[in-house]
Amino acid sequence: MSRLLQDSSTVALKEVRELTRDPVSLALTIMFPILLVTIFVAIVSSFSATSYDIPVVIADLDGSASSSRLLDGLTASPDIKVTQIFYDDGQAIRAVESGEAVGAIIIPKGFEETLLSGREAYIIVQTDNSKTLTPLLVYSAAITKTRELTSDYGNQLQGGAASLEVISRPISGRPLSGDPILPGMLGMITILGAFDDAVNAITRERERGTFPRLILTPVNVFSIYAGKMFATLLLNGARTTLMIIIFALTGLVIRGNILMVYLTTSLMAMFTLAVGLTLSSRIRSSSTLTILEIALTFPLFQLAGSFSSPEFLAPGGKAISKMLPWTYGNIALRKIIYLGLGLEAVSSHLLILSISTIILLPIATVLSKRTM
Amino acid sequence: MGFTPLRDVLAVAANEFRQFRRSRTAMLISLVVLPLFFTSSLGGASGSATSRFSPTAKVAIAFIDEDMTWTSTLLREVLARSGDFDNLLDGFRVDTALASLGTGRIYAAIVVPKGFQDSLIRNQTGRLIIYMDDSEPFISQRLTSALTNSLTNLRTYLGTPQTQNMQPGQIQIIRKGRVFGGFSIGLTIILSLVVVFATFYEVAGGMSREYEEGTYARLSVTPLSLGALMLGKTIHILFLNVIRTFTVLGLAVYVYGAQPRAEILTLLTISLLISLLTIGFGFIVSSFGLTVRAVIIIEFFLILFLFAFSGFIIDKEMLQGMSRIISIMLPWAYGIEMFKRTVLAGQPLLSMPIHLSIIASSTILFYLISYFLLKVSRERLVT
Repeated sequence: MSRLLQDSSTVALKEVRELTRDPVSLALTIMFPILLVTIFVAIVSSFSATSYDIPVVIADLDGSASSSRLLDGLTASPDIKVTQIFYDDGQAIRAVESGEAVGAIIIPKGFEETLLSGREAYIIVQTDNSKTLTPLLVYSAAITKTRELTSDYGNQLQGGAASLEVISRPISGRPLSGDPILPGMLGMITILGAFDDAVNAITRERERGTFPRLILTPVNVFSIYAGKMFATLLLNGARTTLMIIIFALTGLVIRGNILMVYLTTSLMAMFTLAVGLTLSSRIRSSSTLTILEIALTFPLFQLAGSFSSPEFLAPGGKAISKMLPWTYGNIALRKIIYLGLGLEAVSSHLLILSISTIILLPIATVLSKRTM
Repeated sequence: MGFTPLRDVLAVAANEFRQFRRSRTAMLISLVVLPLFFTSSLGGASGSATSRFSPTAKVAIAFIDEDMTWTSTLLREVLARSGDFDNLLDGFRVDTALASLGTGRIYAAIVVPKGFQDSLIRNQTGRLIIYMDDSEPFISQRLTSALTNSLTNLRTYLGTPQTQNMQPGQIQIIRKGRVFGGFSIGLTIILSLVVVFATFYEVAGGMSREYEEGTYARLSVTPLSLGALMLGKTIHILFLNVIRTFTVLGLAVYVYGAQPRAEILTLLTISLLISLLTIGFGFIVSSFGLTVRAVIIIEFFLILFLFAFSGFIIDKEMLQGMSRIISIMLPWAYGIEMFKRTVLAGQPLLSMPIHLSIIASSTILFYLISYFLLKVSRERLVT
């Protein structure tokens, strides 16, 4: 038994040493997490910005004092930037259709007269809905400013949606603008890293022809694979630590047990390694395997629940998502990090990951050994 | 004699096709896995283009009515009919709902507090509270947005004797503009991603393999000019991109029911413009004599940048600071924008001269730089 452990440790040490000799692989392990997080934190920070410059045009067909007040309000809005004021609605709509502006706000003729007579006035908001979020911001700015106008007139009434307010209360107590994707990012880096470890561990060995030499040494095959897995776990631990440091620097508080985070990422890494070994038994070239890894990464952002909840996917996507063990890892990470839940709450998720690994790993090992 | 350069170009292109045909894995990944996998995962995530898909529709949400009035009952009915809340669950109390959040049984609880109707009748603001399991990313934004939309419909129903004193003097906002499904918007990005992903690997990865296997050194001692080599490879990759574009569009139209508002020729032109831009960039990268592995890492970051800064996750107009600058400087982002404006808005290609000229000038610049670098680094690349 001690021989087995000793051999496994030797192989694990060899793997880590080889990594330090290959600067590109080392960059993959260390730089990936940092660059990925930097890019996405920059993106997500745009969600919580206090002001935007979304180009909007206004067509004031009323030319009244009320429409001017609304126009002044819209010009001062922190969300939109009024780029042009027209006195013809056709021009405003054309500006949206040609892509010059994201939205056009049209104040129709008779606006003031209707408003002051106590009847319901209206404005038209035309938006370029090929954009994802900006049309909502234009609409929201229009709602806010019409509310202010009716409030100024002393009606104490609400414009736009309804005289209702929605109060959001997240159960984690985090601010609504808090980073919603960092745990998913940790999951993604775990998957990418472990997949790359599999490429390093097997295909590189195969390409260099070092595996047959390793087999001829007194180290048994089980120790070789156990050593490679142990190396993956060590590297995964290093990547997870790096990510936790980045979390701390970005102000994210991990509410759950930090060891549970390590346990979850380790299980995700083991499962990924098993998938990597299985794929490497069919795809011999390390570069083809890496390109496939990257090709799989982007759909996995969506389907494994890294950046959005699997609950929001269409039925087909949701079914695929439920079949991917990584999804359960990502859910477990979020529950531990955001909600501070313990082992009992995420045990079923971790069990799915473990069972999937237990089933796939022996198959992967046999397939991989056969192709060496 | 005058036809020699053309013959050389065609010879290089034919050689590329021959090599491509010999590698079954490359063929499979480039022409089948990439287009099918990217398009199918988009369809899986966003539903088809023909049916309305609301991300919140199937999410289990508890509806807790503490007010038990005519208005709160109407509110529940409006939400249930909206198509955004098909899975409203009754029978919860606030404490049991809070205990269920985070377990996966329910993901949010909408509470109508006592006095809701009274507030509305007294012309005060009626407040709804949503408790949500915010371990699910973006749940707050999605639910609040869906709820706000549904509440717009509630106004129509509230013009009844019980509450009609709330209405006079309001300003109604009429929303106009063609609405597109998530699939249709995503398709424009997927088309670009598939083209860029495969093209970059085929150019830069292909050149790196030639360096590693020593075939580039052998090619450089033949009478073939560098220009012929670059053009030959360009023709080969453009042809593959025609197949990829048709695969993605075919899948999108015939399987997911997408209805692009642009002619197929327009879409093909944009796709080929993006390909040319990427080929130029690929040649620049390949002039540094990098290994295939290094090329793949650069490819990963190129795709990541496109994914992050070209309006897929967040609109370009919302990006701030450095993110905004990157977005403006990425010529591929203009190609994606052209796809959006043609596929979704039906705008003619020639009505976007700025986008076209940015892509064209970037492509020419990339080709010139790469030609210069490959020429200068010839000795380094062949040894």
